[in-house]
Amino acid sequence: MATVEFKGKTFEIDEDGFLQSFDDWSPEWVDYVKESEGIKELTDEHRKVIDFLQDYYKKNGIAPMVRILSKVTGFKLKKIYELFPSGPGKGACKMAGLPKPTGCV
Amino acid sequence: MAFVSSGYNPDKPMEDRITDIGNHHYGEFLPPVIKNNFGKWQWHEILEPGVLMHKAEGGDEVYTVRVGGMRLMSVEFAREICEIADKHCDGYVRFTTRNNIEFMVDSKDKVEPLKQDLMSRKMEGGSYKFPIGGTGAGLTNIIHTQGWIHCHTPATDASGTVKVVMDELFEEFQNMRLPAQLRISMACCLNMCGAVHCSDIAILGYHRKPPMIDDEFLDNLCEIPLAIAACPTAAIKPKKKEITSERTGEKKEVKSVEINVEKCMYCGNCYTMCPSLPLANAEGDGIVLMAGGKVSNRISAPKFSKVVVAFIPNEPPRWPTLAKTIRQIVEAYEKNARKYERLGEWAERIGWEKFFEVTGLEFSHHLIDDFRDPAYYTWRQTSNFKFTEGMNDYAAIKAE
Repeated sequence: MATVEFKGKTFEIDEDGFLQSFDDWSPEWVDYVKESEGIKELTDEHRKVIDFLQDYYKKNGIAPMVRILSKVTGFKLKKIYELFPSGPGKGACKMAGLPKPTGCV
Repeated sequence: MAFVSSGYNPDKPMEDRITDIGNHHYGEFLPPVIKNNFGKWQWHEILEPGVLMHKAEGGDEVYTVRVGGMRLMSVEFAREICEIADKHCDGYVRFTTRNNIEFMVDSKDKVEPLKQDLMSRKMEGGSYKFPIGGTGAGLTNIIHTQGWIHCHTPATDASGTVKVVMDELFEEFQNMRLPAQLRISMACCLNMCGAVHCSDIAILGYHRKPPMIDDEFLDNLCEIPLAIAACPTAAIKPKKKEITSERTGEKKEVKSVEINVEKCMYCGNCYTMCPSLPLANAEGDGIVLMAGGKVSNRISAPKFSKVVVAFIPNEPPRWPTLAKTIRQIVEAYEKNARKYERLGEWAERIGWEKFFEVTGLEFSHHLIDDFRDPAYYTWRQTSNFKFTEGMNDYAAIKAE
């Protein structure tokens, strides 16, 4: 397991760059990840997606299905890919500090 | 090697990015004789094991030489395929849906040199690189999966077991002496990637122990509701646990799961969803054999394969018990089934009690379906059954 330091914070991550623990999330994490996820500037739309993912995860213990993410945020899948080029799983969930998606991915 | 850029600019990842172009159109790669006669084929015949001839309306002929492929191959090997295609087939070659390789030529006099070239090529260890066969009523390639080469949920190896079985039955690949074609497939866990659920004989990786639970990390790495929903027998439930951290030594309460071992049948679905529930085990894991499936609609409807051997241990690198058991099934089938009869059709005609008698396989309680309501339909609701006698006796009845 690797640890990264960024702006005085320490994050424990796995080989794919996902946070090892949701509790370690902080706003600095988003700044640290965005570069590797092809995001230049973080907009309110990015934040809206991240906030919703975190709320949903805290409440339900799982990441939302893509259709739920779209319906609640109002962003079509295409728009989500525009915001997060690696997609809702590898991009948005990683930035939100959620666990790595599993299954046959 | 030091880093060599392909021209991709990591600072502007979306610049000059090409997406959604799909694959090449197959028409670009058709040999001229195929292109010219597309949709105009009249008939075909199998000239000998591994060699086919198709006749077109205008009289054109195309000869196909099918050779076994190992599926998992190096670029060097792929280049050798290309070299052969360049030498004999004007650079054209294709792969079949069972990962065999087909070289096509447009006249009969080109077949013999191609065949000789193919059979002359061997690996350093002595294996044929391009064994000709796989047509007609014989054994063709084994559809298989990743195994210990690349996957994280396997209960056995794919490439290894497949090599063992193909070595054992190599003659059937080069001949067409079975009652009908025999499809063997392999999957290294019961995700059943590929064709095991619908093959004449299927090799399936199987666990026999419940998952271990890594309480300390489970809540961090897993979405607990998904792990619970992944279980087909509802053996998993959420549970808060008091644990002592292995890393820091501190006591804490964590969210985790509890597995009812009495209900667990070791499918491993929860591990697929949750990395903290690993279950692979050297002694526990092994192989289940299934038999009697098919996908074609010829004579009888498609069938699922059925479990006929509950457990064969993993015995790398040569899996002798596996090879022996499969040979046993194939021999009984070859000796007893009627022409055109697939293994499943044969077993259903003679009755599964006869199948077990003739193949000499042991019938155990593991083979009796106990999964939900549909299990009932697999039991015998009739007094129609046979007392079983002996393999040779049965062969004599068939000869009459």
